[in-house]
Amino acid sequence: MLSNTSIERILTAALSHGGDFSEVFIERTKATSVSLLNGIVEGTGSNLDMGIGIRILEGDRSVYVYSNDIYNEEKLIRMAQNASASLSEAPAGKTIYLKPQIEYFSQRYEICPSEVSKSAKVNKLRKAGETAMAYSSLITQTSASTSDVEKDVWIANSDGLFVTDHRCRTRVMIQAIASSEEDKQYGYFGPGSGEGYEFFERLDTDELAGKAAKIAATMISAKPCPSGKMPVVIGNGFGGVIFHEACGHALEATAVGIKSSYFTGMKGKQIASPIVTAYDDAKIAKEWGSYEVDDEGTPSQTTLLIKDGILNSYLVDKIGSRRMGEPSTGCARRQNYGCAPTSRMSNTFIAAGESKPEDIIADTEYGIYAANMGGGSVDTSTGEFNFAVNEAYMIRNGKICEAVKGATLIGKGNEVLMNIDRVGTDLKLAQGVCGSVSGNIAVDVGQPTIRVSEITVGGQA
Amino acid sequence: MDKKIEEYIEELLKEAEKAGFLEAEAIYGADTTMSVSAREGKIIEFENNDSSSISFRGLYNGQMGYASTEDIKPDMIPFLIKQAKDNCDVLEVKEQITVYEGEKEYPVFNGFIEELTSIDYDFLANTTLSLEKALLAYDPRIEAVDDCFAVYGSAEIMIRNSKGMLCESRSNGFDVYIGCRAKEGDDVQTYGKGWSFSKFSELDIDKCAQTVGKRVIAKLGARPIPSVKTPIVMDKMAAKSLLGSFAGSFSAEAIQKGISRLVGKLGETIADPKITLIDEGMIEGSMLCIPFDSEGVSAKRTVIIDKGVFASELHNRKTALVDGVESTGNATGGSKGPLGVAPTNMYIEKGEYTQDQLFEKMGNGIYITAIHGLHAGINAISGDFSLMSEGFLVENGKVTRPVNQITIADNFFDVLMKVEALADDVDYCTPESTHIQCPSLLIPDVSVAGE
Repeated sequence: MLSNTSIERILTAALSHGGDFSEVFIERTKATSVSLLNGIVEGTGSNLDMGIGIRILEGDRSVYVYSNDIYNEEKLIRMAQNASASLSEAPAGKTIYLKPQIEYFSQRYEICPSEVSKSAKVNKLRKAGETAMAYSSLITQTSASTSDVEKDVWIANSDGLFVTDHRCRTRVMIQAIASSEEDKQYGYFGPGSGEGYEFFERLDTDELAGKAAKIAATMISAKPCPSGKMPVVIGNGFGGVIFHEACGHALEATAVGIKSSYFTGMKGKQIASPIVTAYDDAKIAKEWGSYEVDDEGTPSQTTLLIKDGILNSYLVDKIGSRRMGEPSTGCARRQNYGCAPTSRMSNTFIAAGESKPEDIIADTEYGIYAANMGGGSVDTSTGEFNFAVNEAYMIRNGKICEAVKGATLIGKGNEVLMNIDRVGTDLKLAQGVCGSVSGNIAVDVGQPTIRVSEITVGGQA
Repeated sequence: MDKKIEEYIEELLKEAEKAGFLEAEAIYGADTTMSVSAREGKIIEFENNDSSSISFRGLYNGQMGYASTEDIKPDMIPFLIKQAKDNCDVLEVKEQITVYEGEKEYPVFNGFIEELTSIDYDFLANTTLSLEKALLAYDPRIEAVDDCFAVYGSAEIMIRNSKGMLCESRSNGFDVYIGCRAKEGDDVQTYGKGWSFSKFSELDIDKCAQTVGKRVIAKLGARPIPSVKTPIVMDKMAAKSLLGSFAGSFSAEAIQKGISRLVGKLGETIADPKITLIDEGMIEGSMLCIPFDSEGVSAKRTVIIDKGVFASELHNRKTALVDGVESTGNATGGSKGPLGVAPTNMYIEKGEYTQDQLFEKMGNGIYITAIHGLHAGINAISGDFSLMSEGFLVENGKVTRPVNQITIADNFFDVLMKVEALADDVDYCTPESTHIQCPSLLIPDVSVAGE
């Protein structure tokens, strides 16, 4: 590790030619993984990533340089000086001294995941695979894997801030594939947690395997989904990906700060149906998307995004703060030292409402019940989003009927939020990985069962 | 190659042998990038980076174990060896491959262009500022250029193993991307496009700006059409995305694992006779060449689909061993985990029509210019897809108005069988080329969901 004095020298060098703010981010990450295909251990990984990123701001302009040559102080100082030179000719002429270090534990593990023998992990995964395979003769393949990351970061900046944070996340993935002559369908669960091996140890992987197999076996006999505009009831948990795509990304300062988002200038205005309240909450204990301090060293918070349909807050990082004149919401995140931080989501969800989930279905004459969602994407300028449905059923006369496959939901974020006409009581979070400008990060999506009165469903029928 | 790195790798291989590894291999990878972004007439982002890593794999107890580090210092050698060994203890891979002894000669490819090494901050800054200015000047309805960046990057890779193999390659490149937003009334449309240049003379700022400007303006006023089954002309840009998403189906690894629709289909007709699909590591005149794969096997030319018949799968040395054939030079990865199989340059051979002739043949239908959500809206095994799309309405063989907020749904393998005509618009040697290429396709009877 670099000494405090070295860090001070780098921060000072970074302001030697131009810039009004400098920041250093150092990371050391240990990642291990093991994966099984059809009960056979096919892959294992042990990787150590380490590097330093140096960022300089001048107004809303930024320079970012990184390297994994972290022992070479001379080189890092040269990099910082060169980076500074690309800004203005007006040196800040400031010498940086660090304040006492603040230590955070975004996650604390009980059992260090990289120290647990891989064979213990293998045994449990193998059993899950067997459970999925035994569910039905339609199941032809299974895969099961677990991966964990232990990450230590050091963040220092020219305000003298110096923090260190210890992070740990564990994830498990279980997939079952059902086959027919011409088709293959998946069932999949990928729970994760801001914990160590204890999460994996506690997890009922057999139950998940059974559920994954059930989805695959159901979907293999499903008919193609009909197309057109219709009401859609979206199940709780990972169904929240609709809100993540349709709204969350457009509330990030990355888009709002440059006025490209369709939610620019909408604070205090109605952007969603009055029954919608939503949060981005990085403070939920042990949750996959949680953290105590963000990648700019700002403490995390619970951000009320939408209250009763009214836009209450954006997600703001340091540059966003300079562009928008609003304080940071502690949401600056990045995949690793190779990415400059930017405004991102943590655990983002629609809060529980008042409708019983069974009543939402009963009140729907015709439509689709999207029980399990796949991924999606959004254009935050136009609002156009798309996402896939992994498990879907027809709703007729208030009843869930036959399974349908191949459904994609598309729409415009601003329109779909206004069209939410039921919000259930059954809030649930689900874990995922969000990819955006600053790389792939752990996030939770979430929601209770909701209904959208009208959405375009793309299917083959 | 840096002497220190060479010595480090020699040391690592020596220690591996002492630790009981029968064979061992190390991959050193390093890259540098310099990137500049402009917005509103100023440079708002500048990045300048270098990174390097060492990956190790070794044969112990009949298994190939892997480990990698970005912390390249002598005390990490025991870490790499211990981690790889621990991984060998749990792995249960049946067919095991040894490291490759290498080839006498490798194809000559100079992917490192001296001319480009003169690229500096000022050049990238001027390029992006001029691009932004030219695009904003194209039409007053272009409200903002939200993404405008220029990147210079270089990379080197070295593979060295205990059988004496040594493969090295070095490459560099210069890329630009511009994306903008146009507005008319309440209607907002976006469009962005990237290019990779191998010579300064290829960069034509005005032409790049015009290409993007013209398309984004053409998209203004886009609206859905009613749901319908219709023929489409899929533009080469959309078609190559679709082909890329299903490229894994042709991998022998996927087929051996039973996770490809093409299990047991070798030698059978899987496409219309107009379709010939090729994977070719070295394409003359192209900068997209890959002289050797992740195992050190030199680039090959593999006919995957020969006039509609599934002629060959893509192999690495392990999948080739299982099937009793030769590797097609398609090993990939191996730095952060097991080796896999991936295409190098994959393309469907071009047809005989111009794109306009495809519109004429179609008469009425939709011209699909882009498909979205490929990471989610496809079933990579069955071939089913349902994707948010955009494009233009074609009436009586002529492009009439822009269309958006629709999905197209079909099955990739059905598309291969029913494709009616292919355009002649595939080219590997232009700044627009990417590793996967496909000509524009005329496809009948596609489900479109809209209003």
